[in-house]
Amino acid sequence: MTAARSKLMLLLPAVAVFVLFLVFPILMVLNESFHTFEPGRIGSVEGGPLTLANYEELFQPVYAQYFAQTYVLAICSSAISIIFAFPIAYCIARTEFAWIQKASISAIVGLMFLSSLVRVYALELTFGSVGVLAPLMSIMDINTNSRLYINFVILAGLLQYSIPMSILILIGAIKNLNPRLTEAALSLGASALAAHITVTIPLSIRGIVSAFLVSMTLGVSAFVIPLILGRGRILFISNLIYSRFSEIANYPSGAAISIVMMVLALLLILVMSRLATSLERA
Amino acid sequence: MNVLELKDVTKKYGGFTAVENVSLELEPGKVLSLLGPSGCGKTTTLRIIAGFAAPDGGTVQIAGEDVGQLKPYERNVGLLFQDYALFPHMTVAQNVAYGMRYRGTPAAAIPSRVKQMLSLVQLAGMEARYPSQLSGGQQQRVALARALATDPKIVLLDEPLSALDAKLRLELRIELKEILRSVGATTIVVTHDQEEALSLGDEVVIMHAGKIVQRGAPTQIYQSPASKLVAEFVGRSNWFQATRGSSSIAGFTSYVTSDGVEIRAKSPPSDRDGRVNLCVRPEHIELMDSAVTEAPRDADHNSIAGVVLDVASLGPDVHVVVELPGKARFLAIRKNVRKIPGLAPGQCVRVLFSASDVLVF
Amino acid sequence: MLSTKERLNADVTVRTKALVGAKPILSKRRVDILLAIAVTAIIAVTALFLLFPVVVTVLMAFDARDYIGPFPPTELSTRWFGKLLEDAYIWAGFRTSLLLAIATTAAAAAMGALAALAISWMSPRWRDFVTTMFLSPLVLPGVIIGFGLLMFFAAFNQVPVFLKLFAGHLIITLPFTIRMTLVGLAGISQTLREAALSLGANERQVFFTVTLPLAKNGIAAGAIFAFAASMDDLTISLFMSDFQTYTLPLALTTLIKSSFDLTIAAAAVALMGLTIVLLIVLDSVLGLERAMGHGTNRIR
Repeated sequence: MTAARSKLMLLLPAVAVFVLFLVFPILMVLNESFHTFEPGRIGSVEGGPLTLANYEELFQPVYAQYFAQTYVLAICSSAISIIFAFPIAYCIARTEFAWIQKASISAIVGLMFLSSLVRVYALELTFGSVGVLAPLMSIMDINTNSRLYINFVILAGLLQYSIPMSILILIGAIKNLNPRLTEAALSLGASALAAHITVTIPLSIRGIVSAFLVSMTLGVSAFVIPLILGRGRILFISNLIYSRFSEIANYPSGAAISIVMMVLALLLILVMSRLATSLERA
Repeated sequence: MNVLELKDVTKKYGGFTAVENVSLELEPGKVLSLLGPSGCGKTTTLRIIAGFAAPDGGTVQIAGEDVGQLKPYERNVGLLFQDYALFPHMTVAQNVAYGMRYRGTPAAAIPSRVKQMLSLVQLAGMEARYPSQLSGGQQQRVALARALATDPKIVLLDEPLSALDAKLRLELRIELKEILRSVGATTIVVTHDQEEALSLGDEVVIMHAGKIVQRGAPTQIYQSPASKLVAEFVGRSNWFQATRGSSSIAGFTSYVTSDGVEIRAKSPPSDRDGRVNLCVRPEHIELMDSAVTEAPRDADHNSIAGVVLDVASLGPDVHVVVELPGKARFLAIRKNVRKIPGLAPGQCVRVLFSASDVLVF
Repeated sequence: MLSTKERLNADVTVRTKALVGAKPILSKRRVDILLAIAVTAIIAVTALFLLFPVVVTVLMAFDARDYIGPFPPTELSTRWFGKLLEDAYIWAGFRTSLLLAIATTAAAAAMGALAALAISWMSPRWRDFVTTMFLSPLVLPGVIIGFGLLMFFAAFNQVPVFLKLFAGHLIITLPFTIRMTLVGLAGISQTLREAALSLGANERQVFFTVTLPLAKNGIAAGAIFAFAASMDDLTISLFMSDFQTYTLPLALTTLIKSSFDLTIAAAAVALMGLTIVLLIVLDSVLGLERAMGHGTNRIR
């Protein structure tokens, strides 16, 4: 069985990198999260007693608020991007002109490949407090320094990611769908709207759930977007973890938040993929 | 009144003309086959009738009403797709009921109508199944029931049997014909399969390169094809390139093939004196052992000497390939009713066929 | 037979009459027109929303004024690009980022290709499991990976910053190279390999003459994704960098937060150019559609 063993050897470099730089570090975070924080010290006390205090702390309303903030905006951006992405993806997937399809896909892929900082900066230039739309906002009597407005700008930042991503995922899903099914519905008397509601959408549900899930994952782990567009007034969980590390060096607390965040992220994936399977069966 | 009337319908895709000046009319209860190779414009014609493609020129009337500007859902046309396009997330009953829901059938009347349609296609009791739980033949029947459930003015069948295997195809063809006749559906069958076209259609329309090249009853299409194209497409044939010969006997025209074989045809000589194509159907050929019989050489019979190259028994038929002078290959089909004595490769035979069975183009 | 037909027709006729007399046909069409208008509006709004900020950035980068004035710029110039060329802070970041991206891409492409090859030989059960494991960094929040790595490296004395950055970027780029190589390998049918084997080539020869040439486009596409991801990363670099060694996104973040200088806009336009180059290369090695079908759909 040397052949089989030499084949497995090919996996070794990648596995080594994963164990060393991913599994180990996450285990260290997990370990750290059960230790006590001593102010003024970087990292926890080695060999100190184990504690759940770092987790208990998270039940305080202040922390819950960060989680709520993150999840509400992520859910909003995911839902909005599905609503906007689906019709666009449908048009692109079903257009009879190959060049339109190629051009729109190229543009969307271009947006996705664009450095996230460039996109965030572009939004800041456009919607920021001194951005090009600021005069328009003041005419419309919108306070660009209000919390609500900052929330809106962060939402716009999330949508800049999730809409193109959702469009691409949904194009894939719709292309897998037999176009004759929609035609069959039309020839049986359903209006285009009815045909989409009864046939196209139910049959692309897997793609829709998938796009929602990807948008959610991007949204809840967003870091750069709230970091810059939030102007320090609105923080996501990611930013909170970073500030634990950079500002007060409270590693155990940062670790506990990380673990909770990770568990929630994995839970989300689990629930959504279950949901996709059950929706598909129904 | 005609149920369907197409007048000079033309459809272009960019620089490509998919359908050119097609005119058709169809009487109530008739079945018309639209036959042609892929890309001939038959599917585009069907999509124009169904409302999925707008013609660039000409008019489409269904039951006297100009439907050119109507959306698919505004025409009562039943469509059976090649791949059936059954909704995979709906049960058989929901599939059949779909059209009625949107064509305004009172909700209370739907279940009984579904039942009625399913028993018509002999699928009673299958209401709760999903399409994926059905065989190919059953799926086809559900699709037919769905298309017929709204009692469409006209039923369009797109390659209805092509997704089925050969044995099932014959069975379902007969059943399909019966069902269509029993509901009196005015039908257009689009197909590239000549057997399907000839057996299902009361009339057959042959299309090529976007145009109608011949229209007629199935027997007429086969026996007197209007052009070389039609003859080539419908049925098998042996072809000779020939020129007008010198000898002439009253009522016959004589031709000489490029290999110097003389062939007589009963049809009147064509206008041009140049090259013609002669067509002889394999079924019209008799083979005789040349050692046993000297060929009868009546005026209306052709007799050519050849050598048997191959004999293949295909169940009901025997296909014999004969090599004629000049290495020309010739196919003869014999009914396998009894063993043909002494017909083996290498055998010298005479190929006999009547002058009236020679088609000249 | 006729009776069936008559029976079928009788009740349908009643229905059809009721139907034609009523309005539904008109309203169906009206609904469709509304739908078409709504879809057109959605496309227009989305295109505007996605592209307007980019257009703003490009125009502002060419703004001749030395403050952020009303849009659009009244006069155009390339002065910000001139300033960009002289900006030592940005260039130091760019140099680190470029070196890091090249090193990471090379390592990730090699490791990813080997791993993908091994994965492609596994039974479907194992293949799915191992692939999911390797793709997990794509769904884990970057902060957690960065935070974990920070603690991991704190356990050692004085690890060079570049090495730490390299390790972090390797973790986030490996999923791309593994996945894209798998895509490339999936396009190679088993029969092709068997054909080569039956023609007398041994396993090793088959690998070098059939598998590798056919998989190389997938590997190349993976490398492009890896390069883009490495150039783009901020989260992990933030935990790994120090004042001397920092990446371009880090430098830009600092600048965005601290100044309203339009040099950043010029840098953004330069990065857009880089993106377009990457896209053209990606399109030629694998085709955009094929690449995106597997590249972006991060979870599935």
